[in-house]
Amino acid sequence: MDLFSNLALGFSTVLKLVPVNVPVLGLMPLPVNILLCFVGCLIGTLIGVLPGVGPIATIAILLPITFGLDPTGALIMLAGIYYGAQYGGSTTAILVNIPGEATSVVTTLDGHQMAKQGRAGVALGIAAIGSFFAGCVATVVIAALGLPLTKLALLFGPAEYFSLMVMGLVFAVVLARGSVMKALAMIVLGLLLSTVGQDLESGQERLTLGLQDLSDGIDFAVLAMGLFGFAEILRNLESPETRDVVKGAIGRLLPSRQDFRESFWPVVRGTGLGAILGILPGNGAVLGPFASYTLEKKIAKEPRRFGRGAIEGVAGPESANNAGAQTAFIPLLTLGIPPNAVMALMVGAMTIHGIIPGPQVMTKNPTLFWGMVVSMWVGNLMLLVINLPLVGLWVKLLKVPYRLMFPAILIFCCIGIYSINNNPADVLFTAFFGLVGYVLIKFSFEPAPLLLGFVLGKLMEEKLRQALILSRGSFSTFVERPVSAGLLVVAAIMLVLALLPSIQKGREEVFTE
Amino acid sequence: MTGMDEGVARPGGALRVRNPQDAGAGLFLLAVAAFALWKGADLPLGTLRSMGAGMLPTSLAVLVGAFGLALIGFSLVQDGPGLDRWRLRGPVFILGSVVVFALLIRTVGLAVAGPVSMLVSCFATDEVRWKEAIIFSLGMTAFCILLFKVMLSLPIPVLTLSLPIPLRF
Amino acid sequence: MKSLLIAAAALLATAVPGLAQDYPTKPITLIVPFAAGGPTDVVARIVGEHMSRTLGQQIVVENVAGAGGTTGTTRTAQAAPDGYTIMMGHMGTHGAAPALYPNLKYDPTKDFEPIGMAAGTPILIVARKDLPPKDLKEFVAYAKQQNDKLNEAHAGIGSVSHSTCVMLNVQLGIKPTAVPYKGTGPALNDLVAGQVDFMCDQIVNLVEQIKAGSIKAYAVATPDRSPALPDVPTTKEAGLPEYQVSAWNALFAPKATPDSITAKLNAALVKALTDENTKKRLLDLGGVLPDEKGRTREALKTFVASEVARWTPVLKSAGVTAQ
Repeated sequence: MDLFSNLALGFSTVLKLVPVNVPVLGLMPLPVNILLCFVGCLIGTLIGVLPGVGPIATIAILLPITFGLDPTGALIMLAGIYYGAQYGGSTTAILVNIPGEATSVVTTLDGHQMAKQGRAGVALGIAAIGSFFAGCVATVVIAALGLPLTKLALLFGPAEYFSLMVMGLVFAVVLARGSVMKALAMIVLGLLLSTVGQDLESGQERLTLGLQDLSDGIDFAVLAMGLFGFAEILRNLESPETRDVVKGAIGRLLPSRQDFRESFWPVVRGTGLGAILGILPGNGAVLGPFASYTLEKKIAKEPRRFGRGAIEGVAGPESANNAGAQTAFIPLLTLGIPPNAVMALMVGAMTIHGIIPGPQVMTKNPTLFWGMVVSMWVGNLMLLVINLPLVGLWVKLLKVPYRLMFPAILIFCCIGIYSINNNPADVLFTAFFGLVGYVLIKFSFEPAPLLLGFVLGKLMEEKLRQALILSRGSFSTFVERPVSAGLLVVAAIMLVLALLPSIQKGREEVFTE
Repeated sequence: MTGMDEGVARPGGALRVRNPQDAGAGLFLLAVAAFALWKGADLPLGTLRSMGAGMLPTSLAVLVGAFGLALIGFSLVQDGPGLDRWRLRGPVFILGSVVVFALLIRTVGLAVAGPVSMLVSCFATDEVRWKEAIIFSLGMTAFCILLFKVMLSLPIPVLTLSLPIPLRF
Repeated sequence: MKSLLIAAAALLATAVPGLAQDYPTKPITLIVPFAAGGPTDVVARIVGEHMSRTLGQQIVVENVAGAGGTTGTTRTAQAAPDGYTIMMGHMGTHGAAPALYPNLKYDPTKDFEPIGMAAGTPILIVARKDLPPKDLKEFVAYAKQQNDKLNEAHAGIGSVSHSTCVMLNVQLGIKPTAVPYKGTGPALNDLVAGQVDFMCDQIVNLVEQIKAGSIKAYAVATPDRSPALPDVPTTKEAGLPEYQVSAWNALFAPKATPDSITAKLNAALVKALTDENTKKRLLDLGGVLPDEKGRTREALKTFVASEVARWTPVLKSAGVTAQ
């Protein structure tokens, strides 16, 4: 079995002692890669917690700092920032209902509800532990199955991808807490918002109102921060009752035995779903948490608990999120093709260090490859060690009076949004979407299906049109290709399953809360 | 909007709004759809087989409008909650403070934009204690400079003077 | 109190306008009009790092991505001409953009003071590994015969892969079916998977795939073969000498930046390009460095004018605009 010798090589790379000239103490051997991994995880957690400041901006800024390091150490640190940020993102989602990234939208649904019920610590704890489990499993998947799984990424052409997105839309229906019709309307509105910007094929400006800043479309963080973050502040200022619940009772800090029992299988299933979706090109990892949430809600004995603080609704998606973040490295490491924007940045980081990613990295730079794989596992352990003690601190932050809390959230959001493109116009757009979010609340629309529609819409239109160009306009391409046809069948079955209970219960329950 | 604030409508009556919240929601969707159709009117639709730039925006806008109509339709036959109270104070000062931040960040920098926008947002609530708010906003700004500029070294202007306001539209 | 101190320190650092001969007295912002991690960003960071050391002030890269690079370029054009805001311009922003964006808010030839050419990356013509033609000659014949049956992938209107492929199509007189992607990554993925037939792109994105045999390269569009791929013939050798394109990257300052400042920046750039370590890094990427004549400000000025003149008719004739 080669795997063990490879992993041994990885461990020896990560644990390697390098003589470093420490000021005052002089030359001494230090496990440099472990330290870098720790620093990366710490920075990642920090930026994950800060709304808006994402791994892309941070990795870009830290690139020059890594110039002096050897490539393995540099990449270990940058990778740590990436998955650290995935960890930290759930903290903001749970505590203040702001999803920093598309993958933590689902966490706001039940995570923030748990926080409102005084179970913030439990939610944060289960998110950290679930993520740790998922990270460990995903690392093993990369090590053992990375190469064969690469074929999966190549199996997914535009037609298959489109059908997968159709399946994703069905998840969105299940996300809804209240009226199914209003949820559908929000999905379509999200899809409509996703068409803003330059047309892919002709380059024409669509619905940009002549604003150059909209020609690349609406940024996800801008939309999410406005609809969730700012609208949530407005809602809380108007109804002090709901927000005081958060401050009132703070229950236990860590999950109980009962919580673990309820979360175990959701974590396992979430890990599986996230790991598979993470491998797909074009940011399939985004779908992981949504898929996991849908699954948990569907198989739950009491689906009504979802959206009202069900622990499975945090445990499953958070595991899926982290598993996907990890397996997204597979196409990068084995094919040399980045599946999302952060991975594209990792390519940049590698090229700056003179390593051009491609199918040969594994054989040409085995220490780099296996060192990175092992560092992921070590990094997940560190994240657990960093995050569990922080749970107490985060929960204490909830005790800050709201009159001070909301200006602080505002300023963090503003700086975060500005830092995405260093563009003040983005901050203005966020204010606009804050207003939209306020209107939606008043009409009791839910923003989560809108955001999912938005995320899927961008990918869906691209893949739909690519597939139709390649098939020269023939829609049969979606059913002639077996993988695509299979996905569509699954989507259809899921749609029926999702709608059946509502239909049976009669119209009364379908269209009202 | 507040004129329809009559709560759950009584049964009977041929055509009366029995679910004002959904009726409002439907009107909102109709407005969005109309706006998108108007702004996207110039875009070529193409055909289903070879889509133009306007195909998806237009058909999605029509769908949004259809949901709006459906919501209005159901609001006439089913009882539901009344409209929420709309308040201006929150949106004006909270979103206003964000706009202030956007206008100031590149003209004078974070050291000024931070406290000013935070203080503007404080007008949104009666709970504010001004002395505390001023100290807090200055402290937070210093903390943010330390965190974002010094620790994360994001390229954020801390203190500059550049006019006119560099917004590019 | 703390914030007051920081504010005072920041005021001192920023509000004192440096005289040109003292330049630089504070960090310089280098705007990269593309997302971090892309080929232009990588070149900017490598060159910027060495220039920081020469100038004694940090060069801070600021990524202002959007609208094919024109967002960041517009911002540079409108920035104060004090030498503290410069940019890494590019074949797209300073060559193809005037043809692609009719409402462009800057003129590449008039609104900038050229500083100097940094590095170019050669363009390759590549195809899926099982496409029948074995070399460029066969490919040309095949493409002419297949015409719109052939699928060409590109990374979006205004991207390097799009503009350079339009140039190829116009020169060959072919009209393959263009399949647009959002970025090189997904386009390359589908090329490796065999969903699309061919594409043109920068060597740095393709070199490892070619070495691994997951795609095949027909030619490199530079006068000389690339040391990174010594087996790939040039377009001249392969029988298509008129196809000469490269994705060049060069430094620009806003119009009216004092001559002494651009001279100082040019000197720092030239020093970076002659530094062995920096040079090696750029060459490892498959980059092509300008010769001594090509490093001057005047050379860049002439070159930009020639690029605009060259791309405008090609892109216009293909009927692509981004607005």
